[in-house]
Amino acid sequence: MKITALLVLKAAPETSDPVILANASDVSHFGYFQRSSVKEFVVFVGRTVASRTPPSQRQSVQHEEYKVHAYNRNGLCAVGFMDDHYPVRSAFSLLNQVIDEYQKSFGESWKSAKEDSTQPWPYLAEALTKFQDPAEADKLLKIQRELDETKIILHKTIDSVLARGEKLDSLVEKSSDLSMASQMFYKQAKKTNSCCTIL
Amino acid sequence: MQARHGQSSYRDRTDEFFGIVETLRRSIAPAAENNVAHGGGGRREDPRSAVANQSEFRKRAAVISLAINQTSQKLSKLAQLAKRSSVFDDPTREIQELTAVIKQEISSLNSALIDLQAVRNSHNDERTISRDTTTHSATVVDDLKNRLMDTTKEFKDVLTLRTENMKIHEIRRQRFTSNPSKESTNPFVRQRPLASKPAATQPAPLPWATTSSSSSSSSSSSSSSQLVPRRQGEAESSPLLQQSQQQQQMVPLQDTFMESRAEALHNVESTIHELSNIFTQLATMVSQQGEIAIRIDQNMEDTLANVEGAQSQLARYLNSISSNRWLMIKIFFVLIAFLMVFLFFVA
Repeated sequence: MKITALLVLKAAPETSDPVILANASDVSHFGYFQRSSVKEFVVFVGRTVASRTPPSQRQSVQHEEYKVHAYNRNGLCAVGFMDDHYPVRSAFSLLNQVIDEYQKSFGESWKSAKEDSTQPWPYLAEALTKFQDPAEADKLLKIQRELDETKIILHKTIDSVLARGEKLDSLVEKSSDLSMASQMFYKQAKKTNSCCTIL
Repeated sequence: MQARHGQSSYRDRTDEFFGIVETLRRSIAPAAENNVAHGGGGRREDPRSAVANQSEFRKRAAVISLAINQTSQKLSKLAQLAKRSSVFDDPTREIQELTAVIKQEISSLNSALIDLQAVRNSHNDERTISRDTTTHSATVVDDLKNRLMDTTKEFKDVLTLRTENMKIHEIRRQRFTSNPSKESTNPFVRQRPLASKPAATQPAPLPWATTSSSSSSSSSSSSSSQLVPRRQGEAESSPLLQQSQQQQQMVPLQDTFMESRAEALHNVESTIHELSNIFTQLATMVSQQGEIAIRIDQNMEDTLANVEGAQSQLARYLNSISSNRWLMIKIFFVLIAFLMVFLFFVA
């Protein structure tokens, strides 16, 4: 359940390579010497996948042990490198969110970019950390999870209510016995009091 | 050459056709020779080339009419498929392929017909041909044009019929899947995930006038509607060969994506229903137990009353016991009297 990298690219028409607009990667779990090569690999594969994704389409490619999901919307392309366990739907909703955020914050300036921009975009970095848990990205998944938890809690509640019912039943019996006994007691007392001429 | 209306009857008359072509060619050749005899040797080239041109014209016209026949046959097949389509067994792919093929054929026929007309005009301008030949070729071209127009009209009708059927299916499916307890109809939803959402199916535009305009409109509408994640890029109403190839690759992926979202939504909905069931059960049980609690309460009140009454009785008894001493003295005297009597009798 891990996101390794998120990229935003400008997918130029078929001839030229896509231009990287933002890049965030999490290479902390690789060894120190492999980190730069992994970053290069991410950049290269991201460019390739983005150039092959036709506009207004989503695409998922399996590359070694990563799944690369790409979403191209009118030339602005978001690419994510995730492992196999990450649910596909959350990945695409995450890419949707990233593109929306990018368009909101940068407007249309990306269309004129001609070379890779190296400025880090903080939103992407924090998105990378926040969305390691796929439930954050996909609201549906979150809702489903909460509903399941609620259902479990409700099942426990019903069990305890059933136990309460049993206890209440036993209490009813005991209280009815008690009232019988007290009635007998009262009758006896009255009887002893009425005939008072014995001793 | 005689143009036949080969749409209503399916009979192979190509041999007859070729025979008539031969006889006409033979009849034209002597007529050309007669022209040569009249006009001198200098015109020997022209009639032969005229003959050649006429036969070329006829060959082309023959090819076009054959193609029109084939197209109309395919169209009848498509009409049958469109009529037959039921809710479950949807031959979408075949219909799409057939539609694409027919559209391509119609457009190529159109262009071929235009070429034919241009050829005829150029031949007419180059040399003097008899008036009959010009009227004949004009009639032939007009006839072919009319047949092509009829075929196109039928094609359009078939497409509208198809879209109406689709709409009916959608309505039926909405009726079924809007009731969530009927989980058994989910396979139908999964079969047509795009249709289960209220997608507006566009009526089939005229296949002649469309090409690029409809492709751009479908792609722009799909891109604009992406904010609401519905894929309206279903290449169904006007599949264009350039895009349909790609889209038929992409649309399955869109389908799985949207399908998974639809499935997740259904799961959420059913979970919420189960939760509501559980809550109602819980409420029933708690109300029943409330009644039991009330009974217990009454029992306890009865017990309390009894015990209090008994306690008062005993208190009175105690009082009577403690205040009845002089009666006891009397009883004791009687007892002592009895004892003395006994003592007297024994001793």
